Amino acid sequence: MELLAQLAQGFAAAATPANLLMCLLGVALGQLIGVLPGIGPSAAIALLLPLTYGASPTGAIIMFAGIYYGAQYGGTLTSVLINVPGESSSVMTALDGYQMALQGRGGVALGIAAIGSFVAGTLGTLGLMLLAPPLSKIALAFGPPEYCALVLLGLTALAAVGGSVLKGLATGVAGLLLGTIGIDPQVGVPRFDFGQSWLLDGVDFIILAVALFGVGEVLASCRMAAANPILNVGRVLPNREEWRQARMAILRGSGIGFVIGVLPAAGATIASFIAYIAEKKLAKDPARLGKGAIEGVAGPESANNAASAGAMVPMFALGVPGSNTTAVMLAALIMFGMRPGPDMFTTNAKLVWAVIASMFIGNLILLAMNLPLAGLFARLLRIRYSWIYPPILAICVTGVISRANNIEDAWLMLGLGVLGWLMKRYDWSMAPMILGLVLGPIFENALRQSFTLSHGSPAIFVTRPIAAVLLACALVAVTVPLWSRFFRVKTV
Amino acid sequence: MRIVRGELALALLFVALGGLWIARAATMPLWDGFAPASGFMPLWYGILLVALAGMIGATNIVVHHAAKPEEPIGKPLIVLAALAAAIVGVPLVGFALSIFLLMLVLFVAVERLPLLRSMLVAAAASAVLYLVFRTWLGVPLPVGPLGI
Repeated sequence: MELLAQLAQGFAAAATPANLLMCLLGVALGQLIGVLPGIGPSAAIALLLPLTYGASPTGAIIMFAGIYYGAQYGGTLTSVLINVPGESSSVMTALDGYQMALQGRGGVALGIAAIGSFVAGTLGTLGLMLLAPPLSKIALAFGPPEYCALVLLGLTALAAVGGSVLKGLATGVAGLLLGTIGIDPQVGVPRFDFGQSWLLDGVDFIILAVALFGVGEVLASCRMAAANPILNVGRVLPNREEWRQARMAILRGSGIGFVIGVLPAAGATIASFIAYIAEKKLAKDPARLGKGAIEGVAGPESANNAASAGAMVPMFALGVPGSNTTAVMLAALIMFGMRPGPDMFTTNAKLVWAVIASMFIGNLILLAMNLPLAGLFARLLRIRYSWIYPPILAICVTGVISRANNIEDAWLMLGLGVLGWLMKRYDWSMAPMILGLVLGPIFENALRQSFTLSHGSPAIFVTRPIAAVLLACALVAVTVPLWSRFFRVKTV
Repeated sequence: MRIVRGELALALLFVALGGLWIARAATMPLWDGFAPASGFMPLWYGILLVALAGMIGATNIVVHHAAKPEEPIGKPLIVLAALAAAIVGVPLVGFALSIFLLMLVLFVAVERLPLLRSMLVAAAASAVLYLVFRTWLGVPLPVGPLGI
């Protein structure tokens, strides 16, 4: 009862005209930020932070939260329509979403993404409301060995769900390898910079994603640019069969996303990857995934939205950021004179509950905005590809240069774009490479910390139960497809 | 039945990348006290990449593929050259003009689309990107002699 009373108070605070406006502004800005490659929600919040000096802390945090979960949906638009993920958490959506668009089902892809995001966002907010304290304790049980094992599981499972396990593993390792470029975070010495100062910051995810999915896709598809456009934009709402296929994916994605989002430093990207892997593993016909299966959009899209709610759990309950964006939001809370931590729910209950209530409202606004707009956005697919791909290349160049105002990044994008073209041409999966790049630094740090904790003994990975289970799953993920392939070959 | 040469070249590219990492990582400290040092993970990534890409390359040679014509690469190479020219142009003529010219060249010279409509679309797209990134978000994109 106390919970409901607090939530009611939160709704009363969030439903003031000023806070409703901040919520609307936040989700609208978030969507726009999500569409633009090169600028993520953390950068957008950091840019807006000085503008909120003197503003109401509740209104400002409501807007920042809106930007965070709004951006998760914004990235979907470009993933589905032009195969360029606006955010790292939308990479997996591009795999099936773009295929759906090519099949004239772009409207349904955007529609199910909006519905999935709404359901997951609402369930995630409920989870934040009910489970914040106990889940924070579980998150604290995740030490370096568990993170190491989680990264290995993510990489091996994703490699295994692609067309060829060997190619998936190779591209995953190539991503890990690219992740070692720059300053070694542990000891602060430069590695693999080849004497180029612009490489000291490492290869940013956005450069690789834009290169592989944007430039690579354009180079692979421009040959057919003059072909007839997709005339059938189609419905926005899924039909009964599509809804049957997507509903469990939405629920699974919501659960996976929320739990992964709670883990500090895991976030929406890993959540969407794991949700996609889960859909592929659970599908009756896994071959459908990657060829326009609606579950391939519903799962990851639900997961990335639920993860943004999950990431608020450690932020509010422990004062530990669950992602880059919540780290900036944490800074904002401190700027407003608050002390995020275990007593946040008691000392700043009014603000916390107003933000939670605003997330319910914001998710409703997103659904109301996106269902009618999904059809409108999907109409872009009626335009001939000859008119589309030159602006896509312009967006790619702009996004990459705007990241650090560095022309060398554009050259790197060009080189990696050629690699993406060749990988697409010869059916090498690109997603493990991006996951490897994103997770490489986390993996290396966690590995070093694990060995330091165990005084150099690798036994730490098998004596801690969570790590041991995750490692066993990783082993199964990679050996089962190889074994079954070998077995098939022997029996044919 | 034949070897897919493009795929073999791609596998060899990954082998070379792995080899480069092995060579560089071998000169770095590998272990420090209880924990891996700077060269440890890159060395293993290099070894793994050489092994995996090598296996893919070897499979490509050993397993014969059904003859399938390679797709022509002329147009993608022209698009690639236009993109490279635009990147060269960004610091010289400014961001806005460079991406405008990139789009215009692709519309008119590569896709043979009507000139006037191409100019309008290229100008509108460049203006939107300029306004959003430079004016609204304040990203200091390179400017050229025209001040944009």
